[in-house]
Amino acid sequence: MERPLTVLRMSLYHPTQGSAVFATVPQRLQHDTSPLLVGRGLDAHLQLHLPRLSRQHLSLEPYREKGSALLAFNLKALSRRGCVWVNGLVLRFLEQVPLSTINRVAFAGIQMVVHVEGGTSLEAFVCCFHVSPSPLIYRPQAEETDEWEDIPKEPPAPGSEPPVPGHLGFLYGPSSTADSSPQPSIGGGTEIQLQREPADGALC
Amino acid sequence: MQAASPPPGGVVSQHTDLEGLVPLAGAAAAMSSFEDADTEETVTSLRVTIYHPGQMQNGIFQSIRFYNPEKLPSSEVVKFGRNSTICRYTFQDKQVSRVQFSLQLFKKFDSSVLSFEIKNMSRKTSLLVDSTELGYLNKVELPYRCMVRFGEYQLLVEKEDGESLEFFETLFIMSPRPLLQEHDWPAGKPTPEFCRSSLWCTQSTSLSASPREMDENEY
Repeated sequence: MERPLTVLRMSLYHPTQGSAVFATVPQRLQHDTSPLLVGRGLDAHLQLHLPRLSRQHLSLEPYREKGSALLAFNLKALSRRGCVWVNGLVLRFLEQVPLSTINRVAFAGIQMVVHVEGGTSLEAFVCCFHVSPSPLIYRPQAEETDEWEDIPKEPPAPGSEPPVPGHLGFLYGPSSTADSSPQPSIGGGTEIQLQREPADGALC
Repeated sequence: MQAASPPPGGVVSQHTDLEGLVPLAGAAAAMSSFEDADTEETVTSLRVTIYHPGQMQNGIFQSIRFYNPEKLPSSEVVKFGRNSTICRYTFQDKQVSRVQFSLQLFKKFDSSVLSFEIKNMSRKTSLLVDSTELGYLNKVELPYRCMVRFGEYQLLVEKEDGESLEFFETLFIMSPRPLLQEHDWPAGKPTPEFCRSSLWCTQSTSLSASPREMDENEY
């Protein structure tokens, strides 16, 4: 009996109207256990058409946590010039972070939400793509997801000037176990606002 | 740098910052580019010392170029295994998986140097990293020095930090004896004393050792 494949449901958005950025994105892509490359290059498994993108901009690497039967994923930044924003963290070249169940990712003006539905197959996984006509990542006050319903929403910490378009602040509850990298917390209360804004104030 | 006599009809440049020497135009250009070039960064280096009990008879290491430093891009996933199309480094052994394990670099958030992860890519065989056992697709960060084992293969993996984020270097050494326990030398076979010091390794290429130890084509 075949084991169910892990599914990555990936929603994509870019502000340009009638965007050709996602012209070659299939509805469904099955991939083996090698890293999935995302970028502008022809050898990218998910090829996006944007001059700002690096040929290899980021990778999604499947692996297995010790003792787990499910595939897990690691997102690694591969762009030397650009960066990748993931769930409030800014990743620079070769930095990486494990993915949570729901992930907000931004790079080169592209917004991507990745929802991981774990399956027990260790041979392959599937990506299902959806191109969104509207932005995927909002200011925290406007954000509503199943994951964070029980977390009271606070305005951004004073002094943190959200750049446009779409502030990518992402509030983690104290119960969040997804992100283990040591980021400084801003503001008080039980909220941990994990943000590392790029130095020039621009989004990745 | 010694000044050579100028070629007939050649242009000689007056290069006073070479302490009165007057080099050839070509030499001056080379010297200038050497002096003006960006300072070369040190590279992270990974030294892998391998041993397998059948290494002398079976030709399992014949496609690995020992003592040959190789510079690789830091974004590469370095695969080890039997399949030479997929793997960067191949073991010619039917008992080795097509891809046995892989090494990949990453940078920690609070670090300026590169770190390695090792991932078991074999469904059949566990990968031991010191005392940690990795199953299929399990991975672990490599410490600066560790023993990696699968089947009868033993690999001592040692990392030296470097500045460059772009490249890293690999160097393979074949150990004449097991890495984990002391064995007597096989009788009658002259082999050099095994020494792990990097000083020896740099000197070894200039030693007039018997070709036997250096010639991987023999296997």
